[in-house]
Amino acid sequence: MKLKKLIQDFKEHPQAFRVLLRSFFLMGWGQFKNKQKFKAFPLLAIFLIFVLAEVATSSYWYAAEELALAPAGDGPLYFFRDYGGFFTSGLWGFFTLGRIVTFDQYRGQLIRLHDNVIPWKSADISTVLLGEGILVMVLVTLLIVVWIAQMVDAYKTAKRIEQGLHVDVWSEYRKRMFDDFFAYIIIIPAAVLILFITLVPFLYSFLIAFTNYTSKINLGGTLIEWVGFENFGTYLFQSEWLSFFGRVLSWTILWAIMSSVTVYIVGFIQALVVESKSVKHKKVWRLFMILPWAIPALISLMVFRNVFSDNGGLANVLLVEFGQLENVKNFFRSLGLLGQTHPGVILWYTDPLNGGLTKLIIVLVNLWLGSPYFMLLIVGVLGTIPAQLYEAAEIDGATAMQKFRFITFPWVLRATVPVIITTFTFNFNNFGAIYFLTAGGPGYAIEQIPETMRITGSTPGQTDILISWIYKIAFANDPERYNLASVYSIIIFIIVGLFAIYNLSRVKSFWED
Amino acid sequence: MNVKKILMWIFTHAILVLNLLIVLIPISWMIIASFSKGKLLSGVKLPIDGVKGLFTGNFSLMVSNFREWFSGLTLEQYEYLFTYKATTDQVLPDYWDAFSTTLYIAVLNTILVVILSSLVGFAFSRYKFKGKKQVLLTLMGLQMFPAFMGMIALFMMYRQFGLLNNPTALTLIYVAGSIPYNTFIIRGFMKNIPKSLDEAAAIDGANNLQIMTKIIIPLAVPIMGFVAVNAFMGPWMDYILPSIMMPQRQTLAVWLFRLSDPRAATYSPLAFMAGAFVVAVPIMVVQMYMQKFVVYGLTAGADKG
Repeated sequence: MKLKKLIQDFKEHPQAFRVLLRSFFLMGWGQFKNKQKFKAFPLLAIFLIFVLAEVATSSYWYAAEELALAPAGDGPLYFFRDYGGFFTSGLWGFFTLGRIVTFDQYRGQLIRLHDNVIPWKSADISTVLLGEGILVMVLVTLLIVVWIAQMVDAYKTAKRIEQGLHVDVWSEYRKRMFDDFFAYIIIIPAAVLILFITLVPFLYSFLIAFTNYTSKINLGGTLIEWVGFENFGTYLFQSEWLSFFGRVLSWTILWAIMSSVTVYIVGFIQALVVESKSVKHKKVWRLFMILPWAIPALISLMVFRNVFSDNGGLANVLLVEFGQLENVKNFFRSLGLLGQTHPGVILWYTDPLNGGLTKLIIVLVNLWLGSPYFMLLIVGVLGTIPAQLYEAAEIDGATAMQKFRFITFPWVLRATVPVIITTFTFNFNNFGAIYFLTAGGPGYAIEQIPETMRITGSTPGQTDILISWIYKIAFANDPERYNLASVYSIIIFIIVGLFAIYNLSRVKSFWED
Repeated sequence: MNVKKILMWIFTHAILVLNLLIVLIPISWMIIASFSKGKLLSGVKLPIDGVKGLFTGNFSLMVSNFREWFSGLTLEQYEYLFTYKATTDQVLPDYWDAFSTTLYIAVLNTILVVILSSLVGFAFSRYKFKGKKQVLLTLMGLQMFPAFMGMIALFMMYRQFGLLNNPTALTLIYVAGSIPYNTFIIRGFMKNIPKSLDEAAAIDGANNLQIMTKIIIPLAVPIMGFVAVNAFMGPWMDYILPSIMMPQRQTLAVWLFRLSDPRAATYSPLAFMAGAFVVAVPIMVVQMYMQKFVVYGLTAGADKG
């Protein structure tokens, strides 16, 4: 429908359409025709920079000579590898991920190898080719965007000329451009940094999910290959991996909910207690209560790891000293959280049969760390509730409970919903709370691991959440399965992205200019 | 009425005291452990008989026990911490090396983040240029990426280009990661600075650069201070990035982790407790100061509804 309208528009303005076509064939040509040389030349310059960069980094000129001596080996595809410039060889590398070079096969290559220590057989470094390829793709995309924009500009300007409307001349344009230009200049450093450190690596990681790259691939000797959706098939939809993934995902979600809800409830209670009329010296009490918030979480978690150590940790020492060890063990056993056969002290996070207990400990420690923040938050919100509301309620004879239910609670909840959502997404990826406290342990008992996976490794621990499992898969297991880690990262990205989009849609101020 | 008040008093104070115990017991254990002898947790001696004496009323036993316990404390761990010099950087971490590396990263991070995000924030708050909306959207979208995803790729790229173990290269990752968020904060603040100031300056003949450096930036110092403190604090307690990008060197977080992890060959929990204490105290002071920002952020949220 839109396209039809556009074609109709083109038919009505054939003159302008011809200008557009000029811009289509050469950047800036249309602008030149529109007598806007001040636009045409910079556009042409951008285009020439791209062309020059390509030509200057290529070796097209002796391609003909060399190929006349001996025809290219395995076909025309390698032409760009050996003679192409930055852009063409980048694209070649992106799609093929390189090739294995052998001496006798390839004449053009032989000439090149003279520069180096001559290897008999060597493979291109696929990771580098992929990185360059992505960079080239991003730059080419930018070029295409500019190209389309200047075509639109040429067309619109031509139409205005046709209709006899006012068209910018240099002096007007310069004045507008000068401000824009300044804005671009001061943005560029940050933009370049983000392009290289955030955008390219993100695309890179995303694409690794579609390759066979693990640490078993010896770069320089073997190539990485595109495998399409094979990883999703073998890891995500195959029953053994799927069952582990399901367990990890369900614990991740349970953990994210439990941790957010518990800190909220306890923080709320703390706030109500410390703000209650019967408490004097509120500031002193509050100072003690927010101590866990002030201590860096990383340090608290590592201290708690030692508190629950089964080798002299505080928890076990106190239980033994006060003679409560067996009682507490029986208590946890009756809840079905503790299953250790080991006599003596409680193995808080090392016994596969104590998985439930470990999970409880993680949630409790997180409560210790997290509730003071919510206390601070809610104390602040309590101060914003208008006193008239309570006065009116008192006149109507409301009890304290009713006042809480119908005034305090709804008010606080409404004000803190965004924070709860942020906390949930944060905890969903709260690497530290798991990794520093239990390191994902206890592992699964060997009988619980399917036989095929005992060999493959990369199994999660019972308290691993997705992010800590991915960390292990990518950096701490043998072999390091970068592709699998990327597959799971994409899933996290989708889940967290949905939450982030929801949260973002609430922030109206962002959309106002 | 009076009975009700007394009951309320007992109830609230019971919760407060319980809260106090839960907060203070692990913290005091950490401090006691840091003053203990030896290397492993078995070296920690607690004044348990003294505490029991407190409950049973046997005060003379309590006092003598506390005294005996107190005389058993030492400064051994702290001495080790500050005097130990790592000979080969792999076997045992060295506090001063970790400290100076982290300090370098934190300072560089602060400088770069403040400069770059105020530039971008200024551009977005003051100019209407082509592609502004698209860039803003991209920045917003970038914030959604789990930093972790890029890390796998950055690791490979850094490894390929020999940038592993390079603190400057590591800092660039922090900088790029925090630009989007800080840009939004600074832009929001600068938008509230009246445009009439710019116009007045422009009439007086100031150019864009002068308007930025002489008028807007000085007015935005408070928010830049906030950004600077955050940027400075970030690297001190970040573990994942340095553990991946600097396998042969430590920042403080990695150094603490290696001491505290029972599976590591470098496990020495008592030295860890001392280190944790030394690292935590300055951070706690800053954090306590930052308290008012939490309250500020939440009341802003409360207004929004």
